[in-house]
Amino acid sequence: MQVAVDGPWSPLLGRLTLEAIPYTNPILLFTFAIAATAGIVVVGSVLYFRKVGYIWREWLCSVDHKRIGVMYMILGLVMLFRGFIDGVMMRTQQAIAIGPDSPGYLGAAHGYLPPYHFDQVYSAHGTLMLIFAATPLLTGLGNIIVPLQIGARDMAFPYLNAVSLWLTVAGALLCMISLFVGEFSNATWVGLMPFAELPSNPGVGVDYWMWALQISGLGTTFNAINIITTIVKMRAPGMGWFRVPVFTWVNMATAIIGVTAFPVLTAALAMLGLDRYVGTHFFSAGFGGNYMLYINLFWTWGHPEVYFLVLPAFGLISEIVSTFSAKSLFGYPTMIAASMGIAGVGWVVWAHHFFTMGMGPNLIGFFSAATMIVGIPTGVKAFNWVFTMFRGRITLATPMLWAITCILLLLVGGITGMMLSASVVDYTVHDSVFVVAHFHCMVLVIGGGVFAAVTYWWPKVFGFKLNETLGQWFFWTFVAGSVLVFVPMFMAGLDGETRRLDYLWDTSLRPLMLLEVVGIAVYFLSVFFFLAMIVVSLAKREPAEQDAWGTGRSLEWLTQTPVPFYNFAVTPQVHALDELSWRKANGLEKAQPSTYVPIHMPSSTGLPFIIGMLGFACTFALVWRIWWLAGASLLAIILLVIIRSFDKNEGYVLPAETIAAAERNLSTVSVIAEQSKVLPVGGHAEAH
Amino acid sequence: MASFTKAGADTVLWNPGADAHDTISARTYGFWLYLLGDALIIAAVFACYAVLNNPLNANGGPLGKDFLSASKGMLQTFIVLGSVLSYSLATVALKRGSKLGVSLGMIGAILLAVVFLGIGLGDLAALSAAGDGFARSGYLSCFFTLILTHALHMGFGILWMLVMLVQVGVFGFTENVVARLLNLRMFWQFQASVWVVVYIYVYLFGGAH
Amino acid sequence: MRYWRKLGLLAPLALAGCSTDNMRLFHPVGLMGGLEYHYTMWITGIMLLIIVPTVLMTIIFPLRYHHSRNAKYTPDWHFSAVIEILAWAIPLGMVVVLAYMSVSAIYRIDPWTTPALADAPGASLPPVKVEVIATDWQWVFVYPDENIATIDDLVVPAGRRVQLTMTATEAMNGFYIPQVAPMVDAMPAMISKDAFEIDQPAEFTGFSTDFSGAGFSWMYFKTRILAQADYDAWVKSVQASQNQLTYDVFTQKIAQPQVNYGAVPSYFSAPNAGSLFGKVVMDAMMGKTYPVPDSLTKSVSSTEGEAPASPAAK
Ligand code: HEM
Ligand SMILES: [Cu+2]
Ligand SMILES: [Cu+2]
Repeated sequence: MQVAVDGPWSPLLGRLTLEAIPYTNPILLFTFAIAATAGIVVVGSVLYFRKVGYIWREWLCSVDHKRIGVMYMILGLVMLFRGFIDGVMMRTQQAIAIGPDSPGYLGAAHGYLPPYHFDQVYSAHGTLMLIFAATPLLTGLGNIIVPLQIGARDMAFPYLNAVSLWLTVAGALLCMISLFVGEFSNATWVGLMPFAELPSNPGVGVDYWMWALQISGLGTTFNAINIITTIVKMRAPGMGWFRVPVFTWVNMATAIIGVTAFPVLTAALAMLGLDRYVGTHFFSAGFGGNYMLYINLFWTWGHPEVYFLVLPAFGLISEIVSTFSAKSLFGYPTMIAASMGIAGVGWVVWAHHFFTMGMGPNLIGFFSAATMIVGIPTGVKAFNWVFTMFRGRITLATPMLWAITCILLLLVGGITGMMLSASVVDYTVHDSVFVVAHFHCMVLVIGGGVFAAVTYWWPKVFGFKLNETLGQWFFWTFVAGSVLVFVPMFMAGLDGETRRLDYLWDTSLRPLMLLEVVGIAVYFLSVFFFLAMIVVSLAKREPAEQDAWGTGRSLEWLTQTPVPFYNFAVTPQVHALDELSWRKANGLEKAQPSTYVPIHMPSSTGLPFIIGMLGFACTFALVWRIWWLAGASLLAIILLVIIRSFDKNEGYVLPAETIAAAERNLSTVSVIAEQSKVLPVGGHAEAH
Repeated sequence: MASFTKAGADTVLWNPGADAHDTISARTYGFWLYLLGDALIIAAVFACYAVLNNPLNANGGPLGKDFLSASKGMLQTFIVLGSVLSYSLATVALKRGSKLGVSLGMIGAILLAVVFLGIGLGDLAALSAAGDGFARSGYLSCFFTLILTHALHMGFGILWMLVMLVQVGVFGFTENVVARLLNLRMFWQFQASVWVVVYIYVYLFGGAH
Repeated sequence: MRYWRKLGLLAPLALAGCSTDNMRLFHPVGLMGGLEYHYTMWITGIMLLIIVPTVLMTIIFPLRYHHSRNAKYTPDWHFSAVIEILAWAIPLGMVVVLAYMSVSAIYRIDPWTTPALADAPGASLPPVKVEVIATDWQWVFVYPDENIATIDDLVVPAGRRVQLTMTATEAMNGFYIPQVAPMVDAMPAMISKDAFEIDQPAEFTGFSTDFSGAGFSWMYFKTRILAQADYDAWVKSVQASQNQLTYDVFTQKIAQPQVNYGAVPSYFSAPNAGSLFGKVVMDAMMGKTYPVPDSLTKSVSSTEGEAPASPAAK
């Protein structure tokens, strides 16, 4: 029942042939050399320092929410860098390929990327940045911080948590391998229809994109289920809903979007898959298909998805602004109402992504007005942050600088978003780089929020602060780079420059394009300062206080620094919204528990990792239509899940004496330190 | 903060043992959330069906009203409900702690489900054989997908029951096994509700004869 | 404050932003473009009333309440009913105004019916009908009443309403002439509409905005507004063209995926122009596609691919 596809197909290797490996392309060869070197260095040093066992046991098999969170963030950062390089390629291409006389290099008639490559580059950029950079970075933060903020031991489902991570990794691997085996989609991150159907897109690119989204979307849905259950069921005693910290609240809002919106994407992609693999006609233009259906389904997910991403960033800003203003968050109840409002309204605005399709003035009017309503809770948030700073005692440490910048970016992104939601304005700038600049403002809010949060919570997780001077350099270069890239982009948008052009016929755009390249150069500086910041801080490692910034307000600052793998030695009782502030106000912040009781912990397991890798094998096989491999790995996954359900190991118990000893001698139990060191023999004592 | 209650001498700061959470309740809650997500996948397929269920999208081929039989659909509905009933009897037996009762209930549910799938898949095969397969039109693509999505859920439920048959035998009614049996009940009822909606929406509202 | 100095970075860019000379959307031509500009300015202006003060507060408060300045400090002040009510009411009020403007605007500008053009000088004259077919990757303009067709050159008379009806052969496209007409998608198996009227002879460039594949960047076209007499003469000359566009020529040559590097225009007489558009839409509904082979996608604008491929040259 296989639809006919271009080119050869063999039962053993499917569509995969030697030609799929682009060894004639100098850019890809270069990339491969770098990736291979990096891989060899990493694997080599792991082997050299005899850390294979450590990596496997302590990280790949870990079910600890903090380690999973850290791995999510490492994935996010690596993908952020890859996405950044894609961005660099787009900006440089557009700065060269202007006008018919522009030079061409490396086999391209203009610039150095013919459309075949350029189109893959920006499709990958969007997919990677949203799905494999922003999402893992935020999920990682949520994973690390939410259980700590609510005084829990771990997530509700630690194994599922690990499965979510490794499914996301599988999707990322799929995107990465598409660089060296075959090609990536050229149908943009949204999957243009009917362009992404077989007739216009017979290659494997769309399949790579589709499966990468599909498998990581599964991971995200699981993670959302996990977060909601954790927040609902695992809060420490005394933490009523109005004592839940804002960051946890926004994670709740985001996770609700996660469980409800991602299934719609899953369904849409599954139907696209059926179209491409077995020849159904859901989204074809003819044969009674309806590609508007795809566009509606996609944006029914897609718009909530952008709020899925930005809400956690809003939470981060709230936490940081209040901490560094040494003041309670202003308007906590309305902040929560606003978050939930944004999550809710986000469901009825999707059609603003295709006003130009001609829905008729009634529908357009409805969606235009509905979209504008989102501006209300967003505005409320901005006001509340501003009034949190009002009469505060503000420290402009790096996290605070990021947070303030985020507010400014949000205002710019908000006003341009509101412009776009007026359909008559949209008729002039839809699908122009104005839209690109709009959402990059928003995406920079996410990026800035993540950088703020990394700096802010780093000491909690690793036990030492990041270097402040280099952090500030990173911040200022990043801001300068953003301004230099995106202000000209707004201007080019107002000039009518269409997005996704590999060649610009309009030579008047040259100055703006050059300015953007300057911005990119400044961005490179910021990457340098970021790496320098990490390296220098790692080298110095000045131990941080338990309450690293001195003005911490919520429960996570009550744990030891760095957080031991069991989080709280004894579950705290919660008395106020800002529990730590409350304890400080009562002089109790140093109070320690008098007795310890045994703690039940889940055991590590390699199954989630194996399931993730099998997921990768399965989707890779599907991309190349290697049916036997796809079937075998799917079967293996099902079998593994069944086998796991027969596993009687339900974790181990950490005896009270071990905890007491560990709390006295903290250096051995950091997140980085090995869990097994403090465990009684083998780490599986006293299974019950 | 103005709303601070002052700490007194008897203020409790720590709660030894408070992290012993009720795992069954967390698992059930998580499973509800999964069902919510799954329901949304199916809702999306239904939405497509609603859009594609018109002569334009039939591409000259048949619509549901041309080939669906309401009485056959009714029969299938009864079979599904019978299967749910059989599983409910298994849960009644679970309360009594009877391994035999639970197993018999599940076996009954499986057998009825297999009969149901036989009828349903047979219909699809006949339709394809008559030249009206899923590739005929956008409408038929969606019709096949809708029916097969439900069938996939049923198949998954059958597999789960088979596993549980073994686990009941091997482990008896441990906390884990009971939690799984209860979640499976929710899943089985969920799958039946999906079918009932298919029957009402596709068969009855769709004008099956 | 050293932070002030660093914010100075923004100044030159802000200045650059204020000079709008080379930004097309600030220079609308004709009624449709003018209305769009009008609404853009009002909507943005109204929002600036709130955004500017908020931006100022966001920048000033961190400096004013910096710990080094020992300004008034109220650590426990975290709620004020008045401020909260204002925080909701102000955006709400603004959104009501903006939504009202946006909705009333769409009822004036709706590209399908273009009520706004009823006020234009050309409203009393019969409109010029042009049928637009976006192929991979060219624009075909069919004049059903004149029995002519062009590729990548939209020629229309000044002072008359131009009524566009659009479709596409393979991918979704966005039809757009900045300053002149609202952007509207041209979609396979579907029909969409757009209209504009320009009262003075002028020239513009239109292009596709919705990505459609490897040749997308080259999908731009000249838009020439001629005086009525010149337009009539132009129509006559094209009607006399030896180059004929028939349904067969269209499906076998023109609609086949190809890149028209440099968007070189070509002109056709088209005796059956009236029926072509309908047939193309019907074909797409029946499932006709113009597949784009991978080999083509790979060769576009790469050194082996670039060669003038205008159909006129063939
Ligand atoms: C006040 C809130 C916002 C409003 C009113 C708004 C409005 C809009 C509108 C109307 C569009 C469609 C533009 C077009 O394609 O012509 C759009 C596009 C977009 N927005 Fe927003 N937006 C808002 C916030 C956000 C946020 C918070 C994010 C992400 C974090 C975001 C991300 C995007 C993206 C990614 C697109 C473009 C998608 C694409 O076509 O590739 N927006 N926005
Ligand atoms: Cu980007
Ligand atoms: Cu949106």
